[in-house]
Amino acid sequence: MATVPSICSKCLRQAIRSTPKSTTHRSFTASASKSPSTPPTRRIHHSTRQRTPAIEPQNHSNATPYTSGAVRGRQTDQAAAAQRQPSRVLLQPNNLFHSYTHSPSPEIRQRAAFMRQNAYCPHPDHHASPEGGEAAVAPPRHVSHECPDCGIPVSCSPDHFVDDYASHLEICDLLRQINEDDHDLLSGRFFPEFEYPGPQIDEAQVNLTNWDTLLYSREFNAVNEERPMRQVTRLLTYPITVGSVLHELSPYSLNDRLLPEGLRSLSALRHTLHPPRSGAGVDIKGLRPNPPPMRLFILGARAESSLPREVWLQLSHLFPRSSFHLIFIGPESMSGRDHEYPLPERTPINPFGQIVEDRLGGQMKISTYVEYYHTLHEAQHFHPFDPYFDAFVLFHPGLGHPASSHEWKETLPQLLETKCPVICTGYTEFDMERDISWVRESCGGEADLLMRPGENRFRSLRWDLNDADPGDVSCGNWGVWAFRGKRYEADEYRGKEGDGSGGWDR
Amino acid sequence: MSRSEVVTMVLGRRLPQSSYYDKDFRPSASLYRARQPYLVKNAFTGIAMLGFAISVYTFTIRAVSQDEFEDVKVPDAPVEAPPTSSAVAQ
Repeated sequence: MATVPSICSKCLRQAIRSTPKSTTHRSFTASASKSPSTPPTRRIHHSTRQRTPAIEPQNHSNATPYTSGAVRGRQTDQAAAAQRQPSRVLLQPNNLFHSYTHSPSPEIRQRAAFMRQNAYCPHPDHHASPEGGEAAVAPPRHVSHECPDCGIPVSCSPDHFVDDYASHLEICDLLRQINEDDHDLLSGRFFPEFEYPGPQIDEAQVNLTNWDTLLYSREFNAVNEERPMRQVTRLLTYPITVGSVLHELSPYSLNDRLLPEGLRSLSALRHTLHPPRSGAGVDIKGLRPNPPPMRLFILGARAESSLPREVWLQLSHLFPRSSFHLIFIGPESMSGRDHEYPLPERTPINPFGQIVEDRLGGQMKISTYVEYYHTLHEAQHFHPFDPYFDAFVLFHPGLGHPASSHEWKETLPQLLETKCPVICTGYTEFDMERDISWVRESCGGEADLLMRPGENRFRSLRWDLNDADPGDVSCGNWGVWAFRGKRYEADEYRGKEGDGSGGWDR
Repeated sequence: MSRSEVVTMVLGRRLPQSSYYDKDFRPSASLYRARQPYLVKNAFTGIAMLGFAISVYTFTIRAVSQDEFEDVKVPDAPVEAPPTSSAVAQ
């Protein structure tokens, strides 16, 4: 029985943490810095979906070498560049494996304590037998015994650990890798992989075959080792997954996983994203009317809304001639952004209290709403929707997950009504299949599949641990698929092929 | 403003260098990985082009070497005239 797969928000926050700065201005350089977050003071809706709570270190003034050293790559900030080299390295590369309970880092020790209080031993003796004939042999107990090979508490006692060793062996290597990666983030080393490149000239094509070709063609710093590759792809997976689906050089084509309906939707979007050259220039003669920005509605945003803005700018660098408006919507869209509290007042000009970050890199604007999407849709806040400009992105929404699918019930018909493509990702194949069957059942025949589910080429290469269940490892954006509301158009009769079933069976 | 460049100190001056090559200017692991999807196809293309060039040369030389020149009469070597004394009046 698997508990909820969810990204460990604490891990993500550790990865993106840097020195705190003042919050008075909402410019690009300020938004790139995040302080270690405290539990949010205000939550409109408490989601019942299980995830790790925001347990924080006691005081973030007691900065570990990581937080003082590894300020994220802000190329224009000289002060940050001077801070980048840490004064001492906490952990050497050959010294990255530590038991969580005895870790040199206080944050990891706290996570181990959390696991001991919340995670249950997965041994079958704690569960009632499937036939329902007998009660459980032993009552459920929290984990306390750590595996010596991976350093993570996985069992309640050495006996259960030895009993269940075969099933633990399947993930022991992965857990050890997660252990070392976590300590690597806190090792205080210099992180050249987190220095992101700026925009490129139009003629420099981006190669979207896999991570290596993408990083090379985008002129990232060379990442030779696997560990930095895992660290950097974990953050970049969010913008690049979206970019890889929308780009005209996308690796997903009709031969691969795209369906004809998907090609129609994406062609409309690509018409906006790759506009023909208009002779625009920087002087008065080069003034040209510009189309409105492409709107990407990121629903159910949790950790992704707190990603450093340089990471989201990588999306706009993939599309040099178009501008973006990213809109994070969700009750937890301010998780990890606690220094931006209190939220703006709800005034007639700003009826939903959105936070706007404009002029990011010249072509991007990010808005955040702490609200359910159906509320905003009913208020017609974003109307009219245009399939040439708008798309929805759902990162691991848990549509079919029993703990969260009720939250999506109201939103799904509204998404289908807009006729804009909805790009969804999932933690695992099982997660995705559950989401797809939920959509298929709940849509009432009104949805078309645009892209068949499968592994995302730009998934996070790093696996994350769910603190509430150490046996549950997931990687961000493992798979991607897309759907859209069915469009009814008069079309020529094409015989039995166009039977209008929506492509769900392919 | 590419950030993939790492400077090397040469005679006190800095030369920009792509981070995809190590300090001995050899391709690094990340460059090999980036090239990897195209290695086999490029190798085949290279062999095909080389084969085409070689075959053109071979055909041309064989075609040209088949020419017979028997019908061209090579004239005899010219008879050397007796050395005429230059009229050098003594």
